[in-house]
Amino acid sequence: MSSETEGKSEVSRRDFIGLATLGAVLLSSLSVLTGIFRLSKPTVRYEESTKFKIGKIDSFPVGTVKKLDERGVFIFATDEGLHAISSVCTHLGCIVAISDTGFQCPCHGSKYNEHGKVIGGPAPRNLAWLEISQNLDGSLEVDSAKSVPTGTKYKFYA
Amino acid sequence: MSEPNHNGIDSFRNNLKSIIDSFASSFLRSGKPTSDKSRASAMFNNFFLHVQGVKTHMNTLRPTYTLGLGLISLFLLLITTVSGVVLMIYYNPSIENAYNTVKDITYVVIGGSLSRNIHKWAGEGMIIFVLFHMARVFFTGSYKKGREFNWVIGIALLVITFGINLSGYMLPWDQLSYWALVIVANIIQSPKEITDSLGITQYFDVGGFSKELFLGGLNAGKESLTRVYLLHVMLFPILMFIFLGVHFWRIRKDGGLTKPDSFEPQESDAQLFSPPEKKGGIFTTNKTYGLMELAGGRTPAVDKDVENTVLSWPNLLIAELAVFFICFAGVVVYSFFIDAPLKELANPLIPENPAKAPWYFLGLQELLSYSAFMGGVGLPGIALLGLALIPYLDREQEHVGVWFSGKQGKSVALQALLAGTPVLVGLLAFVISFGWFRNWWPNVPQLLITLVNPGNLWVVFMMLWSVWVIKKTGSTRMGAIALFTMFLVSFVILTYVGTELRGPNWGFYWSHSQWPPH
Amino acid sequence: MRNRFYIMTLFIAGVVLLAFTLFAAYKEMNPEWKAYQKEYKELLVKGTRDEATKKKARELETNIQQLYLGGLKRIDRCTSCHVGIENPLMANAKVPYRQHSGDYLKKHPMSSFGCTVCHLGQGRATNKKEAHGLAHDTHWDYPVIPLKYIQSACVQCHDLDMLKQKGADKIVKGEQLLRENGCMGCHKLNNIGGVLGKALDIIGSQPRIYFPMGFVVGEKTPYSWIKQHFDDPRAIVPVSEMKVKVTEAEADLLTTYVASLRAEEMPKSYRRILETQKDGKTSEDGEALYKKYCIACHEKGKDSLFDEIFMHTIPAIVNPAFLKVVTNDYLKKVVEEGRAGTQMTAWKASAAGLSGQAIDNIVDYLTSKRPKEKAVPFNIVALKGDLKKGEELYKVRCALCHGANGKGELGINLRNPVVQGADITFLAMTVRDGREGTPMPSFGKNGVGLSDQDIVDTVSYVKTISKKK
Repeated sequence: MSSETEGKSEVSRRDFIGLATLGAVLLSSLSVLTGIFRLSKPTVRYEESTKFKIGKIDSFPVGTVKKLDERGVFIFATDEGLHAISSVCTHLGCIVAISDTGFQCPCHGSKYNEHGKVIGGPAPRNLAWLEISQNLDGSLEVDSAKSVPTGTKYKFYA
Repeated sequence: MSEPNHNGIDSFRNNLKSIIDSFASSFLRSGKPTSDKSRASAMFNNFFLHVQGVKTHMNTLRPTYTLGLGLISLFLLLITTVSGVVLMIYYNPSIENAYNTVKDITYVVIGGSLSRNIHKWAGEGMIIFVLFHMARVFFTGSYKKGREFNWVIGIALLVITFGINLSGYMLPWDQLSYWALVIVANIIQSPKEITDSLGITQYFDVGGFSKELFLGGLNAGKESLTRVYLLHVMLFPILMFIFLGVHFWRIRKDGGLTKPDSFEPQESDAQLFSPPEKKGGIFTTNKTYGLMELAGGRTPAVDKDVENTVLSWPNLLIAELAVFFICFAGVVVYSFFIDAPLKELANPLIPENPAKAPWYFLGLQELLSYSAFMGGVGLPGIALLGLALIPYLDREQEHVGVWFSGKQGKSVALQALLAGTPVLVGLLAFVISFGWFRNWWPNVPQLLITLVNPGNLWVVFMMLWSVWVIKKTGSTRMGAIALFTMFLVSFVILTYVGTELRGPNWGFYWSHSQWPPH
Repeated sequence: MRNRFYIMTLFIAGVVLLAFTLFAAYKEMNPEWKAYQKEYKELLVKGTRDEATKKKARELETNIQQLYLGGLKRIDRCTSCHVGIENPLMANAKVPYRQHSGDYLKKHPMSSFGCTVCHLGQGRATNKKEAHGLAHDTHWDYPVIPLKYIQSACVQCHDLDMLKQKGADKIVKGEQLLRENGCMGCHKLNNIGGVLGKALDIIGSQPRIYFPMGFVVGEKTPYSWIKQHFDDPRAIVPVSEMKVKVTEAEADLLTTYVASLRAEEMPKSYRRILETQKDGKTSEDGEALYKKYCIACHEKGKDSLFDEIFMHTIPAIVNPAFLKVVTNDYLKKVVEEGRAGTQMTAWKASAAGLSGQAIDNIVDYLTSKRPKEKAVPFNIVALKGDLKKGEELYKVRCALCHGANGKGELGINLRNPVVQGADITFLAMTVRDGREGTPMPSFGKNGVGLSDQDIVDTVSYVKTISKKK
């Protein structure tokens, strides 16, 4: 019994050096672990940029649709301008097809209307509308990483 | 027979409230180590800690006895392993990508450069420290008194350490990697020197076969990198950890670290550890189970305390923690300032000149320059065999735990140092100034050179000297001390010659600045 | 305190470890490029007037900037420091913030080309020293190319005619200089040329270690080596026999062209080369070929001199006296077979690589300079050569220049198989008429005064001289 109580007061008599040592050990270990975690997050991507050129305005006559599967995007040309809708289904990533009512995904049956709004199936989100910009030399570029509000149309001139 | 009275909902609520405490006590069954009994229990009942004894001898905790060398080797291994896993996040072992991924680790990965440096310096430091550890174990006679086989396991670990370092050196696929790979592959092929001179190569090409097995082809290329990567991240580490496990297990079973018979606690020991609370064991009379301690004999001894031991918790653990942090801090500081080298991308058309192996193999490369087989296979084989046989050729059991086994051993070691150094330096100076057989008689048969060359002559000298010591002192231990000391001396001198005094075409140059401009 | 020793060491070690991990973290958070990007931001904010651009500038993130160039199989991170390279607002800023000069980026957008394909250097690096790769200890074989040589990059994709039209005068001039100074007389290019010097085909891609840098002044890069080698070959390679005399400006132009001779081929989608623009055409005219392969050693060819570097006399092959007496077949033979033991290589297709047609063209060019009047014929058939007398005459008259055993020093080596195989009439006429413009005097009646019989004796002896020791 005496050994038990002696042990307890020994613990509470831990001096500054002991605590400081414990602190140094814990902090340095924490700093190393933090470093290792930060290291594992990539700083650069070994991939093509998300921005890609789609050509000049004259390759998009009014009333046409261009399907760019390798880029996952539809380019629509109407009299109000161009708009780009992502063709990647928001459920599990298959490429959707144009249907009478808008878009249809072949994998699990998700349905979207012509604005990309989900009208059926397991898709959790609407299809994204993407930013189109024009460079100084007139060429048009889509950035698949930049979403814009549904309905955004762009007017470009040659 | 009535049913136990459980109030269901109340029980459930109480259980939910005390869930943290009940989890903690199921996880940490020994409870807080606040008494000697619970400290013993903490060591004994823990999966990771129970490889170490509940009690540790005071001699083990004295830093001047072991210098923590075994621990440092272990901790360097752990640091190298963790940093290696970290590097594996980004490294790619194909010849198109290896170099670029290593470069990107240093350029774009946060902490990448530091991790690579840590991995390199901890890995190479391990070679230095396992050699020091081997020397400590040898000079304290700790390969005796039942510890013979553990010494052999240690030699196996030494070989694995060299292997793992060498295979890692080849992974960045720069000029250093590629030409080291080519040299090592040719060392592996060196038995061909023997089979050629015996004329049996066409039937039994062990050299060529081994080389092709290693390279995955006839030339160093993408297959070689795959195999070297496999060795480095999988085969050698698995072997290392298995052998280490056995190494630690044997330490326990062999009775912990050695200690001198003349051990007495000193004043200065008070700084190192806290003695147990009372003599006569740590157990009270209220025991429902018994723990027996075998105190150095083969029969249980009731009510007798193990002399001069202290509890491992916290004494051993805090010593180990201190060594770990010294080790880790040292590696990190060194890695902060010094970068691991990386040269140009591997170019099979342009050999490095001189094409040098990593420093820890340069002593061997010096021997290789005399005879490929002897330097690559023969002499290292003899050295390893010699080392492994030490505990079986010297079976004296006195003075275990005393450095150099006492005064006589110290002077035997000193004499070996003073005799061996000039002989070896003289041999090297001779061969550097005058060359060897083929320089004088161009048609001398290769077999003669294989049998008679500076490396072999040195080994013969070492053996003769130690036999002379055995005769003079009447002690195999003294002979072993002489032989081992000379082995260390030759390792140092040969490594120095290979690193500092050999330049392009393996020519002799007093310093780097004298190398001819390329 | 119990365990004091270990607790103290643990404390110190822990503090040191913590300190250095924090130092390392600080270092990682402040890489070299961050400072550049910060300064760029400030320049932008200060330099613009309107609030919208100022706002955009302030919101710029500091990150590693990289161009991932799949088609060229490389990654360029130069824009991590050279941030403003595509920004017109930075047209007058200081380097590294300045916008790229000219309108090259219009036709060569960075997203497809990156930087290193033209400027070389180490694209993956994220610090200046290793990115530029100039210092030896960067262990990078392709350092950033000095801007004065930048045109050497253009020929990877464009042909010289197009470059000429676009005003890339340096590379065009450099190519012309190489072609018209007889460099291929000793250096092979496209498999045709002499072997005294190293082949030039992939010299622009050779690693640093290929060039002996011991005597190079300043930065030890392949470009400085090549340029300084043009300035004075023997200052860089003491044993070199290279004959070159160009001005400093010409040396730079030549370096531009030589640096363009690289091993890598650009992917087809990048190239704009016409396939016909390859070298080694046999339809090249004789004069162009003479300039390409012969002019470095033979120069104008009118006079012959004892060359101090070659330690040999270089014959005068456009010398009127020579051309008067030599036959076309003999000339062709000499060019094809060369002069073994001298710096003159064999130019036939199986050796230096000139086609039969090309050699004919060269011979035509040389003989086009032949003087109108024919040589006075030498009726050698009627006279018989007295070898004993010939030997006497040789010792007195010829040995001084041609050597006691014909090996020659000031005069040519008479033992050479091609010379030995020459028509005896040609040899006799040469002795009789001499070679004006060279040290060989006329030995006939109009000169030293030997009779035709004397000459026949001497020449008959000469024809046997290779049998003597």
